[in-house]
Amino acid sequence: EMHFGFQTVTEEERREKIYQVFENVAKKYDVMNDSMTLGIHRVWKDMLMHKMNPCPGTLLLDVAGGTGDIAFRFINYVRSVRQRQLQRKLKHHQNLSWQEIFESYQKDKFNSLGDSQVVVCDINREMLKVGKQKAQHLGYSEGLSWVLGNAEELPFDDDKFDVYTIAFGIRNVTRIDLALQEAYRVLKPGGRFLCLEFSHVSNPLLSRFYDLYSFQVIPVLGEVIAGDWKSYQYLVESIRQFPPQEELKAMIEDAGFFKVDYENLNFGIVAIHSGFKL
Amino acid sequence: MLRGPALLLVLRRAARGGPAHGRHCRRQQKREQSSGSGSGSGSGSGSARPQPLEPSLLRFLVCPLSKRPLRYEEATNELINEELGIAYPIIDGIPNMVPEAARRTHKKPPAEGSEHS
Repeated sequence: EMHFGFQTVTEEERREKIYQVFENVAKKYDVMNDSMTLGIHRVWKDMLMHKMNPCPGTLLLDVAGGTGDIAFRFINYVRSVRQRQLQRKLKHHQNLSWQEIFESYQKDKFNSLGDSQVVVCDINREMLKVGKQKAQHLGYSEGLSWVLGNAEELPFDDDKFDVYTIAFGIRNVTRIDLALQEAYRVLKPGGRFLCLEFSHVSNPLLSRFYDLYSFQVIPVLGEVIAGDWKSYQYLVESIRQFPPQEELKAMIEDAGFFKVDYENLNFGIVAIHSGFKL
Repeated sequence: MLRGPALLLVLRRAARGGPAHGRHCRRQQKREQSSGSGSGSGSGSGSARPQPLEPSLLRFLVCPLSKRPLRYEEATNELINEELGIAYPIIDGIPNMVPEAARRTHKKPPAEGSEHS
């Protein structure tokens, strides 16, 4: 009926198995990401944020956002944009007294995010727990909320968010078409859909090395670091089963998005797909 | 008393006002119930007092089934959909907005529901 990696399972089994995979790897998720991608996943996520280029006041919905990588980057980004805004404003006020400068810093301290907000939505409780702990540990509190929900059936009202992101999550959704429809529904008109996901490498030589690395090294790393060979076997298999760039682009267009485009990172190992609700 | 998959079908039918589409909805039902998420007992989790919900979230949250607004019930720390008569729990400050986690609120049955008892 459906695929779970290279196995064939029913839809229900697939959901169950995927939930189990992430329940098992949650605590070691970040460590594994660094090991498997040699830290390059951080660059990919930074590039996603750079592409989004959010301004203060943006409302972001990060789906399958589990451990919060995208959410934290978003907060850092808008905070620094806001800082620059404030500095520019101050530079233009040439003849302020010290009292006035002092007051302006006070006022804006309470608005360091410029009313930006990010909602992290994930279907897996364990991943959200890890994310929330990380947030506390790193000192993120303002403008950040956590919701347990299903990407195929989002608990959000229509036309609410400026940006919708799903990073390394859409591969694990069972009904991608429903998730894309929901993404369209909750975005405001003019809102942007951004998807960061593993994709297909067309260069045959690179593809050989990539396959070798994926199937020989990654599950072993999974066993050594997370004590879980099977989950990482699933991971590399699911990447091969996921639709390639053009096919995903067509699916996104089917959901109603316009100006759908994609950008390959690292020769197609990863791709960022983007679309707009107009 | 309806429970499980039958409960979900009735809720989806009520939410849409028409026959339930053929969606698989049993996914997490067993797991959520067995992991002690307290779906039947409301606030009593046995550990520290339940964390309150982030107030700004209430602006965005709706029922995933009917997409209609919810009411926050402080006593039981749940989000209640009056129309369908269901409540979503909030665990560790994180609202659990999947239909499988919702419980019936034992009020009178929804208008078009074919409930017995």
